[in-house]
Amino acid sequence: MALPNPALSQIPDSYKYGWHDAEQPRTTFAKGISAEVVAEISRIKDEPKWMTDLRLKAYRHFEARPMPKWGADLSGIDFGDIYYYVTGNSEGGAAQSWDDVPDYIRRTYDKLGIPEAEKKYLAGVGGQYDSEVIYHNIREDLEKQGVIFMGTDQALKEHPDLFREHFGTVIPANDNKLAALNTAVWSGGSFIYVPKGVHVELPLQAYFRINTQNMGQFERTLIIADEGSSVHYVEGCTAPTYSTASLHSAVVEIIVKKGARVRYTTIQNWSSNVYNLVTKRAVAHEDAVMEWVDGNLGSKVTMKYPSIYLLGERAHGEVLSIAFAGDGQHQDAGGKIIHAAPNTTSLITSKSISRGTGRTSYRGLIKVYSGCERSKSTVRCDALILDDDARSDTYPYMEIDEENVTIGHEATVSKVGSEQLFYLMSRGLSEAEASAMIVNGFIEPIVKELPMEYAVEMNRLIQLQMEGAVG
Amino acid sequence: MTLTQTASALDADAIGRISDRLDEPGWLRALRARWWERAERTPPPTGQEEEWRRTSLDALPRDVGLLLDAPQLETHLSPDAAEAGVVLTDLRTAVRDHSELVERFLGQADGPGSHAHFWALAHAAWTGGLFCYVPRGVTVDGTLVARYTLPRADIAFHPVSLVVAEESSSVTLLEEVTSPDGAPGWFGGIADVRAGQTARVRYASLQQLGDAAWRVGAERVVVGQDAVVTTLNAEVGSKITKLGLDVLMTGKGGTSKVLGLLAAGDDQQIDINTVQDLAADHTTSDLLYLSALYDRAHASFYGITNVRHGTKQTSSYQECRNLLLSPQAGAEPIPVLEIEANDILRCGHGATAGAIDPTTLFYAQSRGLDAESAERMIVRGFFEQVVAKIEDETIRERILGALARRIGTTEGLA
Repeated sequence: MALPNPALSQIPDSYKYGWHDAEQPRTTFAKGISAEVVAEISRIKDEPKWMTDLRLKAYRHFEARPMPKWGADLSGIDFGDIYYYVTGNSEGGAAQSWDDVPDYIRRTYDKLGIPEAEKKYLAGVGGQYDSEVIYHNIREDLEKQGVIFMGTDQALKEHPDLFREHFGTVIPANDNKLAALNTAVWSGGSFIYVPKGVHVELPLQAYFRINTQNMGQFERTLIIADEGSSVHYVEGCTAPTYSTASLHSAVVEIIVKKGARVRYTTIQNWSSNVYNLVTKRAVAHEDAVMEWVDGNLGSKVTMKYPSIYLLGERAHGEVLSIAFAGDGQHQDAGGKIIHAAPNTTSLITSKSISRGTGRTSYRGLIKVYSGCERSKSTVRCDALILDDDARSDTYPYMEIDEENVTIGHEATVSKVGSEQLFYLMSRGLSEAEASAMIVNGFIEPIVKELPMEYAVEMNRLIQLQMEGAVG
Repeated sequence: MTLTQTASALDADAIGRISDRLDEPGWLRALRARWWERAERTPPPTGQEEEWRRTSLDALPRDVGLLLDAPQLETHLSPDAAEAGVVLTDLRTAVRDHSELVERFLGQADGPGSHAHFWALAHAAWTGGLFCYVPRGVTVDGTLVARYTLPRADIAFHPVSLVVAEESSSVTLLEEVTSPDGAPGWFGGIADVRAGQTARVRYASLQQLGDAAWRVGAERVVVGQDAVVTTLNAEVGSKITKLGLDVLMTGKGGTSKVLGLLAAGDDQQIDINTVQDLAADHTTSDLLYLSALYDRAHASFYGITNVRHGTKQTSSYQECRNLLLSPQAGAEPIPVLEIEANDILRCGHGATAGAIDPTTLFYAQSRGLDAESAERMIVRGFFEQVVAKIEDETIRERILGALARRIGTTEGLA
């Protein structure tokens, strides 16, 4: 197996990974959460009162809401045994060196063929010098166009009005339990504003920003694409992110205004001891296009259903979802589309692969409100089960309250055909190579939507996951 | 007609009095008592359960009286079939005339988990029902029909239908129920259908209850080794229908076709929960539910295909299609897959909801049909996908006749 889970035992319990941030003093709270902890986080961050109040309101809501009883098994989460805040203005941990990176992560980087400097960079322990240049180039170019791209904490200080106008409008403080928790203790994340008519040609990547502004376990991302603009945001972890933290609960809010277009790509590869419970939601106004490309390969448990509210006429939403669950993993992923205006269209495509004792579940919702005439939606789910003990589920919810619509859902579940394997092996491939090739072919429709470097890495990651999977 | 306690006032004594009144043997008295205990231990759904989120039981008429004197179940059995040992009679008569047989099969297993309370309640409080028994190797020619015509609307009635097809037998059975419109009533019929090894069973149920009736019932179908079973549920009447249907593929090589035809209008709500449990190797189970929804009718479908761990070479499909014929009609089709095995031959599902394609409508009208006739023809064509699978002519005609009440007739149309 490429990423031996036992290697996690190399990680000492007290070990905290994160991004190097030598200039900031460290502040570590005791484990556990309370109104005092929440207020203290806000105080340390020197936030305006409205944010402190919002955090406290969200905390009360978090306390009051029950844990979700559906979906994955979350009984392993102990909210009292989590550090909610670690350093001065970022979640990073102690300063680290390349030597601290566990062997298995380093091996993975080697296999991915990532150059030494970048490896260190990906691991979050590289010197900032390596990337500063690229980062600055991108930033200058964006600034000329009036694009704001910075850490969410920074944006709260530098663009208070724009921030307050949009923050928490898509996912309010009293949303689900985990989103409420995020609102209470959020730290880090990206803030993006794209002005009217501006098209950001290069994908914006957390990758470039993260080095100076750390990404936390409770990061909060807010993207606003003003009328007629477009942007593609690519989220973090392009290679195994390692963490001993048991819970990652991010919130991502996206506002796609009239005629704008946003694509948000995630390749999630958390280490296999992380509960990854993320709330991602976008609103798309008239003629807007919102696309989620969501790849889930890592974590112990993921529950994530990127959603799109189609609020304006002719808005279009798409969710492309890939999930890969290996031994002991449960990927409970999918997408939600709410048709709340006429002539709106949506497409959900899900491809999931389970192997070993892994379990993938597609869970999705298509809702069409009465009056949303001529709405169209197609949901397509395909699952591949590679081993006897692997499992795949499909839970496609549909609530259709309008007659004049075309709504369809289709799903298939299959295994890797022995004829396919035999054919490829007769061409000289090993069984593992042949299986990986079939799996890569299976997810091709989604991988081709990724930026080139991510597509290459995705294919390599799948191959790594597949090594030793058969035979 | 005699009514007894209301459903909300039933207790162990009342269950005992049903046995007294029907002068039942000791085994049945004990069986009812056991199921009553079970019903008490398994409370009715609260609405939090996944299968019960779409239908509230708040307005279930629990205060109507339980019908003690069940109306005569109309059945007809040819002398030849009777000679061969086939039994087709109401359950009370069967207890009297075939006590040992009934004792062997009645109330021996749990029904659909989502409807556990109602399954237990019916086994405790039944006052009527059907017993159909086909001995080993016997092929019943023609169609067996059993029909209940309820005398009034404002009653609770929990009949149990027990259908047993022994090894290598073959039978086609149609069950029908009708009741008057008007007052709310509660029809809680359950069906327990068993197909033995290599048996061939076609079981159809046609529901034409009155317009204020609640149909809260359950059905359990066990498909033995190499058996072939087709079930068809045609839901036409009632105000609320909430049906749980389990199809258990327990024998190697068994095949089931699970069909449903729903035509609903006014304020009708139909909510179907199915489980296709593929628990043995080489089993095949294909489900097809079609709904035509008029006025403010709403159809929910929550069905699970479960391919059990360790099974090999199973095939399954689940398909739920909804035709929305009014702006106020709604549908929630939710076909769920839970697949715990990788050596599967075929597995998938599909669900759709939408209006009639305007091009199709335009085409039909361009051939000279008025809009109404065109719609009727298209709905009839939509149902054809299931109708074509009904091999038995009697069943096909009865069901099409009943559906015509809602969708109109296509006779005389080109």
